[in-house]
Amino acid sequence: MSKILKTNNPIEQTLKDILKYLLDSKHVSAVFSLRKVNKKGSVDYGLISDVAKLNEIAPLHPIMPANAGQLLGRFTPMNKPVAAVVRPCEFRAFVELAKREQGQMDNFLFITYSCGGVFQLKDQAEDKIKNKLNGYWDSIKKGEIHESIRNSCKTCEHIVPLNSDIFISLVGEENGKIYLNTEKAEKMLKGFEIETKEAKFDEIILKNLLTQRSKYKEEIYSKIDTKDSGLDGLIDIFGKCIGCRGCNTVCPICYCTLCDFDSFNYDYNTPIMEKELAEKGALRLPPDTLFFHLGRLSHMSFSCVGCGMCSDVCPASIPVADVFKKTGEETAGMFDFVAGRRVDEEIPVMIYKEEEFPELGE
Amino acid sequence: MTEISKKGVLLDTKNDIQTSILQFFQNAIEKKIFDAVMLPMKVPSGDSFAWIMIKDLEILKSAQPLAPIMPVNAAKALKRYTRKGKGKYKIAVLMKPCEIRATVELTKLNQVHLEDVTLFSYDCVGALPMQDYIDDPKAGDEKYSKLLTDKNWNYKDVKPVCKICDKFSLSASDLHFALNDQELILLSNREKGEKLLTDLNLKTETTLTKWQKYIEEKKTIKLKNREETFEIIKGMVEGFENLTETFANCIGCHNCSSSCPICYCRQCYFDTSVAKPNSDIVMMRAEDRGAVSLPLDRIMFHTGRMAHMSLSCVSCGLCSDACPVNIPVAKIFSYVASQTQKTFEYSAGASVGDALPMKEYRLDELGELGELVKSAEVQEGSHE
Repeated sequence: MSKILKTNNPIEQTLKDILKYLLDSKHVSAVFSLRKVNKKGSVDYGLISDVAKLNEIAPLHPIMPANAGQLLGRFTPMNKPVAAVVRPCEFRAFVELAKREQGQMDNFLFITYSCGGVFQLKDQAEDKIKNKLNGYWDSIKKGEIHESIRNSCKTCEHIVPLNSDIFISLVGEENGKIYLNTEKAEKMLKGFEIETKEAKFDEIILKNLLTQRSKYKEEIYSKIDTKDSGLDGLIDIFGKCIGCRGCNTVCPICYCTLCDFDSFNYDYNTPIMEKELAEKGALRLPPDTLFFHLGRLSHMSFSCVGCGMCSDVCPASIPVADVFKKTGEETAGMFDFVAGRRVDEEIPVMIYKEEEFPELGE
Repeated sequence: MTEISKKGVLLDTKNDIQTSILQFFQNAIEKKIFDAVMLPMKVPSGDSFAWIMIKDLEILKSAQPLAPIMPVNAAKALKRYTRKGKGKYKIAVLMKPCEIRATVELTKLNQVHLEDVTLFSYDCVGALPMQDYIDDPKAGDEKYSKLLTDKNWNYKDVKPVCKICDKFSLSASDLHFALNDQELILLSNREKGEKLLTDLNLKTETTLTKWQKYIEEKKTIKLKNREETFEIIKGMVEGFENLTETFANCIGCHNCSSSCPICYCRQCYFDTSVAKPNSDIVMMRAEDRGAVSLPLDRIMFHTGRMAHMSLSCVSCGLCSDACPVNIPVAKIFSYVASQTQKTFEYSAGASVGDALPMKEYRLDELGELGELVKSAEVQEGSHE
């Protein structure tokens, strides 16, 4: 049974108070959170150990400059306790990384919340979100999709990671509620002077938003369906790729230091290039554009958490996240698997079952 | 570059420039001068272009020699074809001058091999920002065709870095297509080009004075833009605080380096495990300053990249096209490059024969630094 904190203060203030308490009381050595770094509205993730610097944080600000799961994964094992405020898809990314031995969850106190989505990085860079923020928070209270958030957020259905230590219910709430889900959280907040009572989060409050999102998802997915168009359809989508690899660099799941597709394996000798050229009459350069995306799909789509970083950094406006999320859901769905749902849920490609896919055996 | 002939070949432009250039290459392939030609071609979705090495004459018909955007620097495309050395095909490649310069730099860096390659360049009117074109390809095509044909069409539509480019005409190519009003003149730029004109039985009978004058005029305008822009950029990058503010939106995606033709490292130093310290060090840094920004060392990445590649920067602007948060990377790097290249009296991509400054040892180089070192040594000695 989880507990709920009773507070009438604005939710972001309460969260800041909690973080301040944790750092002050030395329950944690540092806080990991979004910060506003200048007047332009630039945002970064900070690891903060000085209580005075906590004033700069903006833990719930709807911008994702990097998937926090990726950042945290790189700095583990963490030998000192850290409180991390992250979005559900960032938490799920970290869970997937932990399964792939690219991150360790020990020593983190994870704080997540039901997320209303994030704005696109481009809009932030062009200073287009400042006057949209009020509308954004209104839409969350009402449980509606804000029109300017990432596509992947508009279609996101996994926004309640109840296995995080602390969960803040924002969607559909007038002021938000803070749930303590784990013993660790309860223990750490023992001295924090706010009353608690037993309570369980009820998902009914998300119903409105989730219905809208699943409807929107159908619409988005139908646009990128290549069932009938096959390879040509894929070329239509990925043909304008410039091969910058931005999608894989910012992907929290693509953890390889050097991607296979950038390795010597794909440095073809001149005679191979010439053979291809002679056979086909023409050769696109650099080669393997579609191959890279299909390869990446097969390498990581099981663990795709649909955070949408890939689409946001694509300089050619390819709907990378839509394609990867759709494919990921389909491949993972075959195994009743949801990326990042639980840390003890094994990734399907890593388990061997004798009885799997008998129809393929036939 | 100095071997340019005084006269050029006037090519037939009954249809339009694009078609004339295509016909030229078709003719050269038919006469077995080349086996294949690398040209841009529209992608099937119609909103961008890709580099295609073309052997089949039927496919050649769909190429578009002068593309309005530069999604990939041609040098990078050519690198993937020639990196492993000489083959059996003779190849022609048509590029923008900045792409020729990148090719020259990559040749010096052993990433491109030019034995089989004949380089063609053309008077570049600039490229449109890729994002604008993708958003509205039809409008992009119209703008670009105006740029190609209308002498007085203003340059506001092209990429910021193209507006300040003064090296948009003759380059280190073997042959060059001069765009002189509605005329298309082919010039040989060096021996290889001269031989090709002879092989194709083309007569150099057209004088170039009018064209040269036009190019000089354009250059003057661009140089003025360049100076003004650099003055602004200087204020944005000099001093650590300005630099931090300018790159504040950087998310560390490294699109700028992965799209850069000069950044050829398979794995950037800043992506290696050396540049990714463990949690203890990160925590130490956080405790030292009260907080640390993640991902780590984004300014260090940019200044490091500058140190690694600015001597070879050709100002093609791909970094800006690829930046998802609109940092004017290209103008910044172009400015820094102008300074570093000036220091070493070097011009990136001017000629395959010029040694890379970092690879060359000169006894008398940077004399003032030597003096500084000497005087420091003397001072140290006097304290002993």
